[in-house]
Amino acid sequence: MAGKSGRTINATPQNVWKKRLISWEGVLVVILVAVLILCRAMSANYTFENVLREMPKYLSEMFLMLPMAFILMMGEIDISVGSIVCLSGTLGCFAVNAGLPFPVALLIMLGSGIICGAINGLIIVMFPELPSMIVTLGTQIIFRGIAEIMLGGGGSISATNADGFRAIGKSIGNIPMVFFLVVIASVIFVLISTKMKFGRELMAIGSNRLTAFYSGVKVKKVLFITYVTMGAFSALCAIFFTAATYGANTTTGKGFEMDAIAMAVFGGISSTGGKGKMIGGIISAFVIICLRIGLGQKNMNSQLILLIIGVLLIGAVVLPNISAMITAKKKKASV
Amino acid sequence: MKKKVLSVLLCAAMATTMLAACGGGSGSTGDTGSSGGSSDSGKKQYAIVPKSAGNPYNEKEVEGFQTIIEANGGECVVNYPQEATADAQITVINSLISQNVASIAVAANDENALQSVLEDAMSKGIKVSCLDSSVNKDSRQTFANQAGVNEVAQALCDAVLDISGGSGDWAILSASSQATNQNAWIEAMKSIMENDSKYADLNLVEVAYGDDETQKSTDQTQALLTNYPNLKVICAPTTVGIAAAAKVVQDAGSSVLVTGLGLPSEMAEYIGTSADGKSCPYMFLWNPIDLGKLSAYISLALVDGTITGAVGDTFEAKELGTTYTITEAADGGTEVILGAPFAFTPDNIAEWKDVY
Repeated sequence: MAGKSGRTINATPQNVWKKRLISWEGVLVVILVAVLILCRAMSANYTFENVLREMPKYLSEMFLMLPMAFILMMGEIDISVGSIVCLSGTLGCFAVNAGLPFPVALLIMLGSGIICGAINGLIIVMFPELPSMIVTLGTQIIFRGIAEIMLGGGGSISATNADGFRAIGKSIGNIPMVFFLVVIASVIFVLISTKMKFGRELMAIGSNRLTAFYSGVKVKKVLFITYVTMGAFSALCAIFFTAATYGANTTTGKGFEMDAIAMAVFGGISSTGGKGKMIGGIISAFVIICLRIGLGQKNMNSQLILLIIGVLLIGAVVLPNISAMITAKKKKASV
Repeated sequence: MKKKVLSVLLCAAMATTMLAACGGGSGSTGDTGSSGGSSDSGKKQYAIVPKSAGNPYNEKEVEGFQTIIEANGGECVVNYPQEATADAQITVINSLISQNVASIAVAANDENALQSVLEDAMSKGIKVSCLDSSVNKDSRQTFANQAGVNEVAQALCDAVLDISGGSGDWAILSASSQATNQNAWIEAMKSIMENDSKYADLNLVEVAYGDDETQKSTDQTQALLTNYPNLKVICAPTTVGIAAAAKVVQDAGSSVLVTGLGLPSEMAEYIGTSADGKSCPYMFLWNPIDLGKLSAYISLALVDGTITGAVGDTFEAKELGTTYTITEAADGGTEVILGAPFAFTPDNIAEWKDVY
């Protein structure tokens, strides 16, 4: 398994800057700059102000990407997050409409997210033979089902007193408040994954669970904590998403899990586990966000936008394999 | 090392493809008259956000909207959301705000979820109206309503009068007894008939409720046929009810005739003359093309300042042949009512049955 962990725990750093420049993350930065230039050239409306104004809805999805990256690094997956967003958002609106103070509503939202995450985590830890894809597929249906039952026939609820959500959705200058939070959360996640024991343990689990276990990593504990974090951040996403819609409906959060996974995978974080860097996921999230905003401003058919993102994703996954194949061939030839 | 250089090169290639794709994309949207940047053409941009792509009913609305905007020298921006959800519409509307369009007309997927983004649009001076299905009153300036209570009731009363030949027993097959719109229509029909002597010979024998379930509507129709042997007309102002009633009557070979509000696609096989053994001479629903046109006139009038969306404002809709007045809507906001519903007859049903 040396090859698999090769990218995980790098050998002693040599030529650090050079290496950074031509790593996948470096390439992503280049792509980000290219996307920005391209979009600016295409659309005169692609200004700083407009892009930042359109960003909050996408930024709330970044809260999902951060812990999702951890889950993917462990070789697991969580496709229930969109439903957690829906359930948490619905509960929040009900709480506000019931006359509870806004901070209490926020706590209810966060609490519901944590509980949902804990349910996922418990099932996955207790029944290790079950694939996390299937477990979270089940909870995906359950969580959204609960929300749909609460929402009843109309399928939609509106926060009658949206002042609290309005306040959260505000901007400081041109920069939406959620942007700062995303930056802070990103820094914390990068630090955890690079500087802390927890990050190394995640990678170890993703590379080889058995080895990690025998090396003393508390696999179950790490798994559980990560899924609970995922739940909590789904609730954060719900809070900021509700701040953009002042309500919830049965389609809230639909497809968010796939967006989050796409951001992470495009960032070089492999779903087979043990590969990738947090920073890659963060940069790729911005690439996708900026590209979607730019293409949207050209009134491009949204199906076509999805198609382009899809092609990019496949490209990002296939590229390393192609280049590896070519170098392998060359090596063979030189021998 | 070489591998890395290679991947950088491949990336560059990918970016180029992307660029090409974008070029192609803006070209293709140009076909529908929606190339971005109002400064390019100097025309004002009027945007329409339908419920979803690939829905023929929505496409007819867009068609009507586009015709009028372009005939009046504007540029029409059609922006379909990715899915039929409010979330997807938020994304699209956000993007339209960035493009600084003059107006946005939206067929909302959710009554409340668009409030934040539409308020944002209005605060930037963009004129916001809805068509087909409204957003709440704080999120819009006015609403192009296809189903005015009195207009629908009047059309149905006249149809009953016409089909019955001026006198006789008739019945209503409604949805559920709590349905707001159904009850409003039925009440309006009753009051129209009471207040005009030409309906004096018509005798409403029963209002039956089929709860918008095919089976229950079928049972109720059969009960009507058995209980009232002199019944001439069944009027069902609900798409489920009319389809069920038309089927029962046609299968039974009864002389009773059916009319009401129905979907052309579901009703096509029942519409025709009684000589051909069909049970429904004609029925009504709104015309999505006209609704799109009305919405376009509203957008134009809001942008040029003819109307502000307040009750009592009037504007002319040339192609629809009338002057419209803004009225108060049931939710406390304002609306413009399209007018009498559109009649689907044996002559035009073939053309409409594939639309919706």
